[in-house]
Amino acid sequence: MSEERNGGVNQEQNASQASLQNQQPRPAMRMPGMRGPRGVQVVEKPKDVRKTMQRLVKYFQYEKGMVFGLLLVVVILVVCSVYAPKLQSEAIDRITEGKFGALPGVLILMLVVYGITALCTLIQSLLSAHLSQRIVKRLREELFERIVNLPIKYLDTHPHGDIMSRMTNDVENVSLTVSQSLSSIVSGVLTIAGTVFMMVYLCWQLAILSCITVVLTLVVTKFLSGKMRTFFRKRSALLGQLNGTVEEMVTGYKTVVAYSHQDQVVEDFEKTSNELTRVGIIAEILGGSMGPVMNVINNIGFVIIAAFGGYFALNGLISIGTISAFIVYAKQFGRPINEIAQLYGQIQTAVAGAERVFAIMEEPKEDKSGSHTMDGAKGVISFRHVNFSYVPGKQILYDFDLDVYAGHKVALVGATGSGKTTVVNLLMRFYDIDSGEIQIDGVNIKDIDCNDLRRNTAIVLQDTVLFSDTIRSNLKYSNLEASDEQMIAAAQMSNCHKMIRRLAEGYDTVLTESGQNLSQGQRQLLSIGRAFLADPKILILDEATSSVDTRTEKHIQDAMVKLMKDRTSLIIAHRLSTIQDADFIVVLDQGRIVETGNHEELIAKRGRYFELYRRQFEGNAI
Amino acid sequence: MLKYLKKYWFFALLAPLFMIGEASMDLLQPRLMSRIVDDGVLGLNHGGAGDLNLVLTTGVRMIGFVALGGFFGVMCGVFANLCSQNFGNDMRKDTFRKIMSLSFQQTDQFSTGSLITRVTNDITQIQNLVAQIIRGFIRNIMLMGGGIVCMMSLDLSFGAVVACAFPLLLVCVVFFISRVNPFFSLLQKKLDRVNSVMQENVTGSRVVKAYVREEYEKKRFGDANQELVDTQLRILTIFSYMTPIMNIVLNLSVVAVIRIGAFRVQEGAVTPGNVMAAITYLSQILNGVMMFAMIFQNISRGMASYRRIREVLDCEPAIADGAGVADKAGAGDETGIADKPDAGDLIGTVDGTDIAGKIGSVDKVGIVDEGRISSEGKKKGGRIEFRNVSFAYPNGSGETVLENINLTIEPGETLAILGATGSGKSSLVNLIPRFYDATEGEVLVDGRNVKDYRLKELRDKIAVALQKSELFGTTIRENLLWGKGDASQEELEQAARDAQAEEFIRSKPEGFETVVAEKGMSLSGGQKQRLSISRALLKKAEILIFDDSTSALDLKTEADLYDALRTHYKGVTKIIIAQRIASVKGADRIAVIDNGTIAACAPHAQLMETSEIYQDIYKSQLKAEKELDMEVLGEAPVGEPEVKAQAEESVREPEIKVQAEAQAPDMRNGEGGGDHE
Repeated sequence: MSEERNGGVNQEQNASQASLQNQQPRPAMRMPGMRGPRGVQVVEKPKDVRKTMQRLVKYFQYEKGMVFGLLLVVVILVVCSVYAPKLQSEAIDRITEGKFGALPGVLILMLVVYGITALCTLIQSLLSAHLSQRIVKRLREELFERIVNLPIKYLDTHPHGDIMSRMTNDVENVSLTVSQSLSSIVSGVLTIAGTVFMMVYLCWQLAILSCITVVLTLVVTKFLSGKMRTFFRKRSALLGQLNGTVEEMVTGYKTVVAYSHQDQVVEDFEKTSNELTRVGIIAEILGGSMGPVMNVINNIGFVIIAAFGGYFALNGLISIGTISAFIVYAKQFGRPINEIAQLYGQIQTAVAGAERVFAIMEEPKEDKSGSHTMDGAKGVISFRHVNFSYVPGKQILYDFDLDVYAGHKVALVGATGSGKTTVVNLLMRFYDIDSGEIQIDGVNIKDIDCNDLRRNTAIVLQDTVLFSDTIRSNLKYSNLEASDEQMIAAAQMSNCHKMIRRLAEGYDTVLTESGQNLSQGQRQLLSIGRAFLADPKILILDEATSSVDTRTEKHIQDAMVKLMKDRTSLIIAHRLSTIQDADFIVVLDQGRIVETGNHEELIAKRGRYFELYRRQFEGNAI
Repeated sequence: MLKYLKKYWFFALLAPLFMIGEASMDLLQPRLMSRIVDDGVLGLNHGGAGDLNLVLTTGVRMIGFVALGGFFGVMCGVFANLCSQNFGNDMRKDTFRKIMSLSFQQTDQFSTGSLITRVTNDITQIQNLVAQIIRGFIRNIMLMGGGIVCMMSLDLSFGAVVACAFPLLLVCVVFFISRVNPFFSLLQKKLDRVNSVMQENVTGSRVVKAYVREEYEKKRFGDANQELVDTQLRILTIFSYMTPIMNIVLNLSVVAVIRIGAFRVQEGAVTPGNVMAAITYLSQILNGVMMFAMIFQNISRGMASYRRIREVLDCEPAIADGAGVADKAGAGDETGIADKPDAGDLIGTVDGTDIAGKIGSVDKVGIVDEGRISSEGKKKGGRIEFRNVSFAYPNGSGETVLENINLTIEPGETLAILGATGSGKSSLVNLIPRFYDATEGEVLVDGRNVKDYRLKELRDKIAVALQKSELFGTTIRENLLWGKGDASQEELEQAARDAQAEEFIRSKPEGFETVVAEKGMSLSGGQKQRLSISRALLKKAEILIFDDSTSALDLKTEADLYDALRTHYKGVTKIIIAQRIASVKGADRIAVIDNGTIAACAPHAQLMETSEIYQDIYKSQLKAEKELDMEVLGEAPVGEPEVKAQAEESVREPEIKVQAEAQAPDMRNGEGGGDHE
């Protein structure tokens, strides 16, 4: 339900008590970063509420002092809010009774209570702000820490958008709920408890009658919100679909234009948009009817109390003053129930969100065990009868057996899907093998400290990853201690120094998100420079120069020869010219090694490599 | 904005009317309630004797009024929603339609991310704003105005309290809002930062792990997170002060009303009941002020969104339709000139046009025209000419990307374009379908300036396969059908076969019905490229452009693809941007682009003799080709003496050979397992 509406409903229902409303102006608190439709709340049921709540409570336990302080302040506020109307009516009584002399005393007391209320409200707001922010900060940090340490396998098999939305939407939901609902619930529960106590104490018969209102409220809320839920759910599905269409078509705009598909795309969009509007109108109307209906119910409750109270009073069961008090309490009773009913949905959503966040946190971390270091390692890599499959039953590598000598340049060639990149994934321990062994200098890589293994191995991937930071930071990413001279040397070797110098800010140019302001080729050059700066023992280039023209590539290769003199390099490339002077070429086909040898030998063999080579150079293309 | 509201003026008018009804009932209700309490229950006017009858009759009336008010409220909601959501829908559709008509220089300028938020978030903001204004604004004015009137009618002296408290609250609100507003945009930035660090770590996880930068990233994220939390806390802190201070003002006024009321009661001017009512109205008025504060804040945010939408809506497409054939059809001469190369073909069809024009409506002329173009296209279309073309990116540094390009590509010709990274290859082909417009000079397709075509007509002649294959989240079939909506299964399969995609599509359990997951993540780079090539082939256009669209294909697949192109797409003009000379060696001509100019353009053999750059590229790629040609294929070498020298350089040192041989035994197992030919 939209919060504006809540505000409106509360406002009219509690106008007479507004002086003590300790609610914060919610719409203004709403953070602009909140994604998702405003005012829509699709209640999502968490699967295991207890477990999630227990974990969530742990986060509160870190902030025990604050929680305690907050509770204290809330209790004071509740007491004040129960006491203040009494003072107010007392003051009016004085006026009614004509005891004007006693008035200043009451007024001063009122001022004191109001002062305490204001002070407590301030403390409460500050405390809950800090509390929620600290909890959310911790939650975000822990989630990020886990995500960074997740195995690649998890990230490869789960949609990135989903992982992202846990960090943005779900954490935000938890944050919003924590900051808004904690004090509301506590004060609501306390108020209800206090009021119920007072009501039963004053007249249990009337108290029971008041319950009719509560039951009515609950029934109507359940009925309406059930209806609303289906429509809000439909609406948020449509909204997701609409946003998806926009995102897809705007990012793929070039294709849309190339195929003159604008009209169809717009037509599809309009269909979804119209449907969204239709569902949205119904959902909002249903949601909007909640306030007026509640208003009617509350007034029915009021009439019931007034009528039966009057009847009881006539029979001498209760005093007239009790009725007056009852009316105030009945009102006070209704407010928190409404509020909690409305919060209930929000809390459910938040718990469901927290559950998703915790689901990631429960994922096992990447196995990085191993104690051997690679100090003084030569970089001899041996694959021994390695079998591997990403998905059980779909084997990718079969009995892969290969020795790479220190300082050698070894190339992997083969068709798409033959398993070349998989070899890199295994060597970097991005994935663990099914059987067999991979050794570096005779040590199983499982026994090598994973961080040390990776620190000594630099890789350049086909899909270049750059960060939205300066070029300098991006280059030095591989080696934080590198000096500027070393950085420039690496940039020169990778042929990007000149290109960087041409940029207005040089090395301090900030790359836009994922380096979109550079061409694909330039981005590859930067990532090669970054790998060079790492000064690794093993260098892996996975289609690293596919978007670089061949002349530039030649320069880079010349530089690499110098750089990799006593190091091992593993190169994957489609272009055979890239790997012709490799010391050793491995031809892969459907996960098996079908040929090995250097260029001349393989040509002489007239096997698979020769076939590939002939196709490339025969000029039969086109 | 009014333009959009105009359509729904009826709803926009009805909603406030109903709101007035609802608010009136709300104003009425406290009076009835106090009557029930005062007269019915407490019996103030009857010396303490309650009147149950009065309670019941007034109670039923009150419930009736409240129910009526509720009905009005619901109706107001109905009309307010009909108005605001239809309004939002129209605006959303218009915005999206406008985006779909923008040229690339404009979408580049906006950036895709910002366009997406504009269509989604900003529209929702404005829509909410409209709904809020229709409902909240009027409601508040009613309640506040009514409250003030009622209060004054009770006793003028109460007005003094309102007169003091009102401006005070207003100042408070303005002060806090103005303090907090700048932080909202800051907050958005901080939030973006956290999200972008997160995004980079999710998508770039391999690099993070490869360089063992988990701790570094944690710190980077920690910093961004801290900044976000700090900003958020600042906002929350400001708001924390706002509520209590406003409450104090409110409560002081209540005390003042009681105090003043006491004097007035003493004077006999008002009754105690009036004082109670005054307190109720006072809270109502001052609450209204707070509500206004929120509404105004939403307005300022909504206006910011509106400005962002306006920016898009006001954007005139930089590249718009040319006059098109249909418009020119009347001026027969002009059409004749424009299509001169095809004059022979024209005669018959022009007659057809005339007949159709006489028989049918004017609309039909256009249809027949299009028919003519496609029929003539199959025979002779696809001639491209660049005349003194220069180009610089409109929003770029002004650096010239292409300079004085002159080039003619004949129908059916295969032209390959070769050149270094960033030399302007893509920019050159981007000018043909008018993805961008030439800064100087003109580009002609079939003898007519591309600017004179209707865009759809021009782009229907051209099929482009892009380097970055953009696929959409539907089935493979749906994706391919983009090329030709009414293609038959045979055509579909043929296109997939030619693009070397059929095999892998068949290997999927669901074949053509396989759903391409989010941004094609379920497919490998090569597979995506082949799908995007199939799509282009299916279009059966006169001009086929491959913008480095085979970069992820392995050599065999690429060669097979080009084989298929050569045999099945003979009459089509093919422009192929590539990196590998071998891929393009067989092209009719190869244009070598260097620093935005055409350094050479000739068949392979000729380039090998005349172009130094070409030789250089050739050397970098094919240094060993000569030996291969001579020893293995026995063909006459095309390479030059320099190439020979290069080839000799690459002879390995003996020791490496020894090592390589030494490895052979280890390979036995691997080889044994392999399927040898």
